Amino acid sequence: MSVEPGHEDTRVPEKYRGLGYHELNALLNLYDADGHIQFDADRQAARQYFLQHVNNNTVFFHDLEEKLDYLVSHQYYEPEVLAKYSMEFIKELSKLAYSRKFRFETFLGAFKFYTSYTLKTFDGQRYLERFEDRVVMVSLYLADGDELLATQLVEEIIAGRFQPATPTFLNAGKQQRGELVSCFLLRIEDNMESIGRSINSALQLSKRGGGVAFALTNVREAGAPIKKIENQSSGIIPIMKLLEDSFSYANQLGARQGAGAVYLHAHHPDIYSFLDTKRENADEKIRIKTLSLGVVIPDITFELAKKNQDMYLFSPYDVERVYGMPFSDVNVSEKYHEMVADGRITKKKINAREFFQTLAEVQFESGYPYVMFEDTVNRANPIDGKIIMSNLCSEILQVSEPSTYHEDLNYDEVGKDISCNLGSLNIALTMESPDFGQSVETAIRGLTAVSDMSDITSVPSIERGNQMSHAVGLGQMNLHGYLAKEHIHYGSEEGLDFTNIYFYTVTYHAVRASNEIAKERKAVFAGFERSQYASGEYFTKYTDREWTPATGRVRQLFAEAGVHIPTRADWEQLKASVMEHGMYNQNLQAVPPTGSISYINNSTSSIHPIASKIEIRKEGKLGRVYYPAPFMNNENLEYFQDAYEIGYEKIIDTYAAATQHVDQGLSLTLFFKDTATTRDINRAQIYAWRKGIKTMYYSRIRQLALEGTEVEGCVSCML
Amino acid sequence: MTLEKSESIDKVQLLHHQAQAINWNRIEDPKDDEVWDRLTANFWLPEKVPISNDVPSWKTLTAEEQQLTMRVFTGLTLLDTIQGTVGAVSLIPDAVTLHEEAVYTNIAFMESVHAKSYSSIFSTLSSMKEIDDVFRWSRENPHLQKKADIIIKYYKGDDPLKKKVASTLLESFLFYSGFYLPMYWSSRAKLTNTADLIRLIIRDEAVHGYYIGYKFQRALAQESQERQDELKLYTYELLEELYENEVLYTESLYDGVGWTEDVKKFLHYNANKALNNLGFEALFPKDMTDVSAAILSALSPNADENHDFFSGSGSSYVIGKAVNTEDEDWDF
Repeated sequence: MSVEPGHEDTRVPEKYRGLGYHELNALLNLYDADGHIQFDADRQAARQYFLQHVNNNTVFFHDLEEKLDYLVSHQYYEPEVLAKYSMEFIKELSKLAYSRKFRFETFLGAFKFYTSYTLKTFDGQRYLERFEDRVVMVSLYLADGDELLATQLVEEIIAGRFQPATPTFLNAGKQQRGELVSCFLLRIEDNMESIGRSINSALQLSKRGGGVAFALTNVREAGAPIKKIENQSSGIIPIMKLLEDSFSYANQLGARQGAGAVYLHAHHPDIYSFLDTKRENADEKIRIKTLSLGVVIPDITFELAKKNQDMYLFSPYDVERVYGMPFSDVNVSEKYHEMVADGRITKKKINAREFFQTLAEVQFESGYPYVMFEDTVNRANPIDGKIIMSNLCSEILQVSEPSTYHEDLNYDEVGKDISCNLGSLNIALTMESPDFGQSVETAIRGLTAVSDMSDITSVPSIERGNQMSHAVGLGQMNLHGYLAKEHIHYGSEEGLDFTNIYFYTVTYHAVRASNEIAKERKAVFAGFERSQYASGEYFTKYTDREWTPATGRVRQLFAEAGVHIPTRADWEQLKASVMEHGMYNQNLQAVPPTGSISYINNSTSSIHPIASKIEIRKEGKLGRVYYPAPFMNNENLEYFQDAYEIGYEKIIDTYAAATQHVDQGLSLTLFFKDTATTRDINRAQIYAWRKGIKTMYYSRIRQLALEGTEVEGCVSCML
Repeated sequence: MTLEKSESIDKVQLLHHQAQAINWNRIEDPKDDEVWDRLTANFWLPEKVPISNDVPSWKTLTAEEQQLTMRVFTGLTLLDTIQGTVGAVSLIPDAVTLHEEAVYTNIAFMESVHAKSYSSIFSTLSSMKEIDDVFRWSRENPHLQKKADIIIKYYKGDDPLKKKVASTLLESFLFYSGFYLPMYWSSRAKLTNTADLIRLIIRDEAVHGYYIGYKFQRALAQESQERQDELKLYTYELLEELYENEVLYTESLYDGVGWTEDVKKFLHYNANKALNNLGFEALFPKDMTDVSAAILSALSPNADENHDFFSGSGSSYVIGKAVNTEDEDWDF
């Protein structure tokens, strides 16, 4: 939409007059005549978006009371949420939120919020909430009648320190809504009932929102016998097809299309067919377009590749019969040679290095599969049980138990499947918090509330898992933005030092918060007594030695911010309290990739470097829009090197510094220029595995336009 | 030159080719190798893009917008069909090296992939009757037919350099009145997966136009000054002929929605780009080429966009170079 001539806003610089907000935003991606990035064009785009679009399309109310009455009586808001508070309190809280003078820093932030999050009239035409209203409603919902917590949540969210994940921020308090939980992880066992039930779960969970991941490791391979008759099983590919179709069928009231992932063990006989589904020239019958893939790799595979030996793949059907437990629950590294020698187990072999090379080839072509380093993950797991898979973003790592079913698909025994709700702290703003520890604690309490209020009855194994574990995943974002603001290069000695001490400090407060909740409620997660928290073993690495900044700059940053770095004595005390009172949450941290919410929150995504100075974002609901890195200006560009320039070592080093403190995983994307080969990808994987990385998310390849064919003056096209 | 004579030359060339195996280890023009690598790395098939995710978005377009979109894509199908079956193929006999010939065969093949891609868009978004209607429209639209006639005329001619000019103008200029529309939709959050597919096509066409133009420039440098002047004049005349027709074609498409003026700027921008590929100076001044930033940015053939899970991998991935790991890599 363009502005009519004669109605130009005189506050708009002349060169931008008459342009619509999409054009203004797109100018970000084009240098101006002097070769500068046009940041002010984007600020104008945000402004014009409000003037030309949002303000004209927002329903007007005289006061808050009229508004709430309307929203409740027209079934937009859940009356039960508001009924837990007095009108005076709600008014005060709303006043508090508006007094903070929140402004969107970028066009994409505002555009994303109004297209995807805010409450709209049922016809989808007009807006019923501003950002402040959404923050208040989310806080009221999560605090569940607790005025202090509601106030704390409003303070944290409106200041931008804490940002709940999309499902929570989008849905909380609305009457017509999906679930508040981000992620679901389910096992599939080697029988038709389990497969059938999984398709149903895919439909049910997609309908309610959130990404769903399935472990296919236990399903027998193509050609395996059924009822002792050879060559009967169709293997895993047809199940993947069914899942893919289920996800695209069900969507969350049209708000989000379903999305899913499947994980397979590297030593499953169908591993090559699994990878081939993402090939560029894959046949339509086996091609997988929208389902994400992940591969579970144990240490033994690396050992075999090191020796350049063959790797054996084992039939899950036989392994289960021999060991009396599903294939996924067998420790493959430990039992590998035993299984190779066992004549009862059908197997085939491939070359281990060739396997890694194939993995890299497919990653080049499609970005998939994700990788989970099985033994690393399980060594670092403080909870009793085995972790066999990860999720759609490869940051959730929790233990599970199989379910068994009757022929009519009712449960014989309800197992334990996984759900996790997420939220992230903005590192730059949290470092400015008046009370760092309290900020972490409020975030943990907000996330715990989501777990407490979630009740996924459509999938009983998820419901049971949630009730047992109260698992949450506190993430972090804006690491690169913060470092650049402080003139520290990403992945430099100071950058790694900061990452280490920051995560170390967050971890202390997260455990402390969970311990506080356990004390208040006199309740711990199921299996606490068998965990390394209960035995005290978890705390050893923090009580055995002092953790302090290695560089003066980082010491200075924490000192200036007034953030206390926990001492050994602090940990000793916390250890004693945890061993006595327990912890409420089985899991506390998980660092998601933060797509949408980092735009709203004006952050760089997660803890990885920016992908481009001006990022191109494409989504079904947004189209193609452009996003500048936060804190970036034409003077400090040197600190905003992009991920392709920074290279994989520094990214992996940064993640390794954080990983040692995080109980679950971190979504680690690797970035390669198109001059890279499969060997470079393999070297990165070996490096990551050696550095103790738990999972690897996408691999992204950047191909620059052939010289002579590029769009002139394009920011995102430049090296 | 009589027809028989040219045929016999073709046969002699063919025999000559059969006798000589292509040796990629002795490259006469390194550009051949570079472009070959780029084109093969960029190989793709339309099945990779989840066009069906655009069905809800398609339904939000008005009947007029839907018809416009269908027509634009039929126009593009026609051009890609010509380029795949006649255009790129007609360049093969003129190739100076076997490597150049190999690149043309790749170009010809990818043009056929493009033509098929439009069909998969049609069949996903539309009904058989509508598809038949719009193909009838393409046969009856005089400007579209004229565009095809002009180009085919030069492809059938016997001047290798003129064929390259016609081909470059097609690759770098004529496609873009059509490309405008999906780029426009994509910046407005409509048909974003279709736009991904078109961006893959643009990525290819950018390289094709660049390469054919480059080969033209190399050949032109060998010619006499007189012939160089003649070809330059010919290029501008052909561009003018095509441009006049293209303006009429653009009006017949876009007048209804009122975007003609903006599309014209885009035509000017790309006409300059085509001339640039051929080594000639721009025709249209800067103030006639100030394409809307939303379109220009959307055009970027680079592959560094960030997308959510629901939007497919877009144009972000290429076929990589496989290299074995060595013992030193596994030293741990």
